Amino acid sequence: MSDDIEEGIRVRARELLSLGEVGCVVGYERSPKGRIRPAFVYDAGDVHRLVWDQTCHHNLMVYLRERVAPSRTNEAAPRTAVVARPCDVRALNVLIHEGQVIREQVFVIGVACPGMLDGEGVAEHCQRCKERTPVFYDALVGRAPKVDVLDETWADVAGLEAMSPAERLAFWTREFDRCIRCYACRQACPGCYCFECLVEQVDPSWVSIAHKVPEKAFFHVMRAYHLAGRCVECHACDQACPMHIPLSLLNRKIAKEVKALFGYVAGGDPEIPPPLATFRKDEELPL
Amino acid sequence: MKAITREALTTWLDGLTGRYTLIAPRLVEGELLYRSVTASAEIVLEFRRTVLSPKTFFLPDTQVVLEVEKRGTETTLAEPEVVKEQVIIGVRPCDARGLRALDALLLDRPPADAYYAERREKTTLIGLACPRLWEDCFCTSLGGAPDDASDVDLMFYEGRTGYWLSVVTEKGAALVEGLRTEETEQALPASDISGERVPVLAPDGWSALFDDAYWQRLADRCLSCHACTYVCPTCRCFDVRDDTTAAGPGYAHIQRLRAWDSCMAAAYRRIAGGHNPRPSKAQRLRNRYYCKFCYSPIDFGAVACVGCGRCIAVCPVAIDITEMLADIQYPISST
Repeated sequence: MSDDIEEGIRVRARELLSLGEVGCVVGYERSPKGRIRPAFVYDAGDVHRLVWDQTCHHNLMVYLRERVAPSRTNEAAPRTAVVARPCDVRALNVLIHEGQVIREQVFVIGVACPGMLDGEGVAEHCQRCKERTPVFYDALVGRAPKVDVLDETWADVAGLEAMSPAERLAFWTREFDRCIRCYACRQACPGCYCFECLVEQVDPSWVSIAHKVPEKAFFHVMRAYHLAGRCVECHACDQACPMHIPLSLLNRKIAKEVKALFGYVAGGDPEIPPPLATFRKDEELPL
Repeated sequence: MKAITREALTTWLDGLTGRYTLIAPRLVEGELLYRSVTASAEIVLEFRRTVLSPKTFFLPDTQVVLEVEKRGTETTLAEPEVVKEQVIIGVRPCDARGLRALDALLLDRPPADAYYAERREKTTLIGLACPRLWEDCFCTSLGGAPDDASDVDLMFYEGRTGYWLSVVTEKGAALVEGLRTEETEQALPASDISGERVPVLAPDGWSALFDDAYWQRLADRCLSCHACTYVCPTCRCFDVRDDTTAAGPGYAHIQRLRAWDSCMAAAYRRIAGGHNPRPSKAQRLRNRYYCKFCYSPIDFGAVACVGCGRCIAVCPVAIDITEMLADIQYPISST
């Protein structure tokens, strides 16, 4: 199955590059040590570098805004092709709605995704994912695999909710204590594209430069709020964190609230704009 | 050669906790980190590589360097608290060697950095030799070795039932005074130094590659996070900022903080007026490597990389410094 997808990606990439349809194909490759990583292929002769399997956990949409953001395309920048799983396309959807990426500048090589591996089996968040194929694409590789989708029980969030405020504070203090403020979570997140992050702003300086729990907690909680209704649950943050902090748990709690309030799943439908970027005069919230 | 059983070591370490701040690899929520410990039972000495080096005990990730209190017209200045004598056990030879890069900037040339100098003076390093090079390690390519005792005060080598022990400095000798050890005639088991040797370009070879297209291509996948710089035992950049921590009518409390900073950050190099001489991530990634292999040796006399492999292990997008060193033997501009 992965081999079919891999070959499909290569064929499409070769075609797009040799026809001059795109200037670059962003996909995955293996490092000389065999580690999966983002790949940038500019030449049709290099498409053999592209690979695909169930360890391709990076959300490649993070690379689009530096290539095909509206501010970048004045000089008739070449289009970019990108390999995208269903969650990646949800992220792309968010970016397009927010005016960060011009849809026409991107060629989406959609992947029929069986879910990413986490240790022995398919990661839990992938088992919950209802989409086997992306909500849109320009070309699809692979065939939608039959997968038993886990019911959305929010069991992970329930664990958090069952804690008293003091217990929750203790839990997150323990987790954030080992954060090193490397911002790998933010940099790996397609939803985080601020030119200057609030925690790094100098004038005015909102947050101290200290690597202490209050600053770290502020950063993570702020980031989670900024991703309300925008986080696509790709878990790129968890994957990037060198300290293995369960960052996506914060996003999950907020995703649950957004689902309950708006019936909205981030990026799930290209036609529906994100609720927190929408204003309706007559709207009433059951708050 | 002295040898010490695990039991004797435990007793000795427990004794040290009363007299010193004892710092050791300790499991914190599943991650092995250097932290202060109160009992030897917390210490983990069987490990490969910790996520972070112990550099924070010399150049803290966060440090108050000055406190100012203003009441009406009266201003009081307070210096930071004095550091207690500290012992760090379980220091890998590469991390200890990394302190050379910190010394070069903060200690060796006057004026020395008083805060760093104090911590360096008050710290005794107990090394723990690696039996071999672990995954991603390349210390032997940079003049180090898994059992190199040059930069520690005491060196431990793991044996079957205990540790071999070699006293390197007077500081180390003072620490083991009274320690129950056995003299042994047996030769120390040498560490296995096999493993791939990475070619390291000489400092004067780098300037010709400065404009090579390679850096742009390498940085394509870089996320511009700070992970590589913070886990690095030789990265030593910091930022200093004054924070008002409390203020009211006729009253203010101000802290001057020094904290780790990273050259991977977009704003790192930004100057007054808003100009940024290194606006692109390719320029920043290139700078990190040039700092290590070109600028540091030229300015301070030594390469600022010890081959610990941490930046390789933590990079979320598998950028590999050894791959870069191999790649630049055949620059794009020459092909």
